Amino acid sequence: MKIEVSIKFFGMQRVLTKTDGIDMPITEKARVTDALEYVRERYPELPLDQETVLITVNHEQASLDTMLKPNDIVSFLPYICGG
Amino acid sequence: MQILRQIKYEPSRVVGGYTDRILRVDVSTQEIAIQELPPDFKNKYIGGRGYALKLIWDGTTRSTRYNSPENILVMASGPLGNEPGFPGTGKFIVGTISPLTDTFIDSNVGGHFAPLLKLAGFDALAVSGISRQDVIILVDGDAGTISIAAAPSYGKEIDDGSLSFGERLLRDVNDGGYSNSVAAVTVGKGACNARFGIVNSLFFDKKRNRIRSKQAGRGGTGTVMRFKGLRGIVARSSLARANGNNAVDREGVRQAGSQLKEVVLKSDPKQLHLSAWGTTVLSEYMDKFHLFPINNYQYGQSPESSKLFASVFLDRYFSKKMPDGCYYGCNLACAKGAENVELTRGPRAGQKVSIDGPEYETVGAVCCMGIFDPHFVMEYNWYCDEYSLDTISTGVTIAFFMECFQRGLLTAEDTGYELTFGNIEAADGLLHEIARGEGFGKVAGQGVARGKKWVAQKYAARHGTPENSAMAELNKFGMEVKGLEFSMYISKESLAQQGGYGFALKGPQHDEAWLIFIDQVHKELPTFEQKANALKWFPLIRTWFNATGLCKLPWIDVRNPEAASTAEPAKNLPTLAYYVKYLNATTGSSKKLEDILEDSERLYILQKLINLRQGKGTRASDQIPPRAMGPAYFNEYESRAEYYDDWLKKQLDDGRIPASPEERHKLLMEKRMQAYQKLCDIVYEEKGFTSEGIPKRQTVTKFGLLDEQARQLLDEFSV
Repeated sequence: MKIEVSIKFFGMQRVLTKTDGIDMPITEKARVTDALEYVRERYPELPLDQETVLITVNHEQASLDTMLKPNDIVSFLPYICGG
Repeated sequence: MQILRQIKYEPSRVVGGYTDRILRVDVSTQEIAIQELPPDFKNKYIGGRGYALKLIWDGTTRSTRYNSPENILVMASGPLGNEPGFPGTGKFIVGTISPLTDTFIDSNVGGHFAPLLKLAGFDALAVSGISRQDVIILVDGDAGTISIAAAPSYGKEIDDGSLSFGERLLRDVNDGGYSNSVAAVTVGKGACNARFGIVNSLFFDKKRNRIRSKQAGRGGTGTVMRFKGLRGIVARSSLARANGNNAVDREGVRQAGSQLKEVVLKSDPKQLHLSAWGTTVLSEYMDKFHLFPINNYQYGQSPESSKLFASVFLDRYFSKKMPDGCYYGCNLACAKGAENVELTRGPRAGQKVSIDGPEYETVGAVCCMGIFDPHFVMEYNWYCDEYSLDTISTGVTIAFFMECFQRGLLTAEDTGYELTFGNIEAADGLLHEIARGEGFGKVAGQGVARGKKWVAQKYAARHGTPENSAMAELNKFGMEVKGLEFSMYISKESLAQQGGYGFALKGPQHDEAWLIFIDQVHKELPTFEQKANALKWFPLIRTWFNATGLCKLPWIDVRNPEAASTAEPAKNLPTLAYYVKYLNATTGSSKKLEDILEDSERLYILQKLINLRQGKGTRASDQIPPRAMGPAYFNEYESRAEYYDDWLKKQLDDGRIPASPEERHKLLMEKRMQAYQKLCDIVYEEKGFTSEGIPKRQTVTKFGLLDEQARQLLDEFSV
């Protein structure tokens, strides 16, 4: 079994990366911050400011310190507050 | 153009955002009057929605309906409208007694009409009466004339269309050309035949070299305008827009505007990127979080949804690299447009048209009908605008009848065809029938609330069953509250948003509160008290935007990076500080955010009093359909059974859920309904209302609203 998490891209991220998402191999101590760095290394053009990004793991809000488990789904979303 | 009545006037100069004048026109008597406002009027009612509320409160009665001669159609900006140095200042509201809700409705819209009306000397325009012939009103600040004229005729096809008529009218009053100094509001023929008619706001866009449009969409304001025999209103002024408000502290305005523009410039491209994608960008996120209102809000997600994501519209339709703001100086510029789109359906099939939009709400309305065809979205958008129909109410109403058909409550004999989800030809056919007031369109044009009664009667007669049992079934999925159709978000999994829809004074439109993410995703409102606090705070600040002539999006949809270090990031307080600064610099006040909220609360309570007078102000009127609270039917539960079972476990002390899925579904819905009632209790307390949702006498007194009418009203309710 692969030990990895999925990082999903939405909106502008999907257009810039030209993919719906990527998989990241993880170790026992992997955290969301590792996933963020993983994305930044591969897609330096993606704007991912900590202050303005909503981190979710499995559709629930998470933080950079959140521990990752195999098969988790990680997203870095914009804040949406309704028009 | 045949002038029926004209007066000469001296336009009042704008000072600190105000002209202190309202233009009153009675189209029955063709009387034109200029009302000078006392100094304390603006202090108490702010502008925009506040002015409309006060005029409706004083000028109508509980028996006033949308088609009563005394009903007033108000168009008003506010003290902060018309400042190119600050983003989003072209907004105004259209307020009146609604054909759908029978109480006050206002719908906000962008464009150049209200800024030009203000420069022509008026903070608001209020139209009463019913004209025996179709007329237009011309407010010409340059010539110093106000005229009522017979509506010109340009041929049936043009005359029937709001966009077509408006385009010709604007050229007609400008020697055949376009001008930045002239703007109009118009209504098409569809508004005659449906209760959800809209008002189009039309203005010349030099970049596109054509007339563009924005829409006051909700609640049937266009139906009222058309019923008054009023086909269009033109405002003209060639005064400079820069510092058009004649601000008390011009440098303060410049600073506040620069600060907000910088946040928008730097942050929007890293966030939703509305400046490039428009609000259609929301479709993707709504689908991800099960919020896309598919098949009449049954399902929030579909494998087909990606056909309606923003990238599709950007690739195929939107003109790229063209900022399409609806007023000068807005660098968020979220309005989008397309050129040379060929219509493939309907009476104008084969024609190529320019389309302003779609917005997210229009995309949502199409998926609500189970349709995932982007070209149909474009056509639906254009036809609704041309006919003057609200894309939201039209879509939700058609979707409601589709579900009636799906559940066997309607037959092809009733509708004339198979009205099934995803059936583009049927949806398209019904759209045109609604606009023409023909066939089943006559029924559908009445909206969901009246549609429920019609279906219940039909079903009961066909099956020999009581009407109320059919009605109970229809109430589960008829997506309306107070008579207004829901806007395009599924609220099932956010109790706070259920309140956001249920307590909204105009009906379930999200411009009072959109709390889904901070409740459902961010989990920032875990307790009932926190939800109640948000359900008081957000409607108040959002009301303020509608009273001042401002767009909310630069505040609410672009998160200021500094907000991250505040206690409540969702309120985006660092950006709101720019707005407070802008207000004070414009008007010369020295208000703080708390003062603004208190000003706004006065308007909120006044609107609540109007609702109470019109029979829509008690707890009963705040109840929402089961579909808005959870999976109303078993098929909805089954589609996310694992999620719902997990939710139910967390609600039970022992975590033991019933054995059968049917029992789990039933228990889940009971829990949801109990939670909503508890929310009502706590929110009413927070807002200073009785447990029946009526403002307490001390609450009304606190805001200086206890006039004779309010006193009698509260006496009636023994409050």
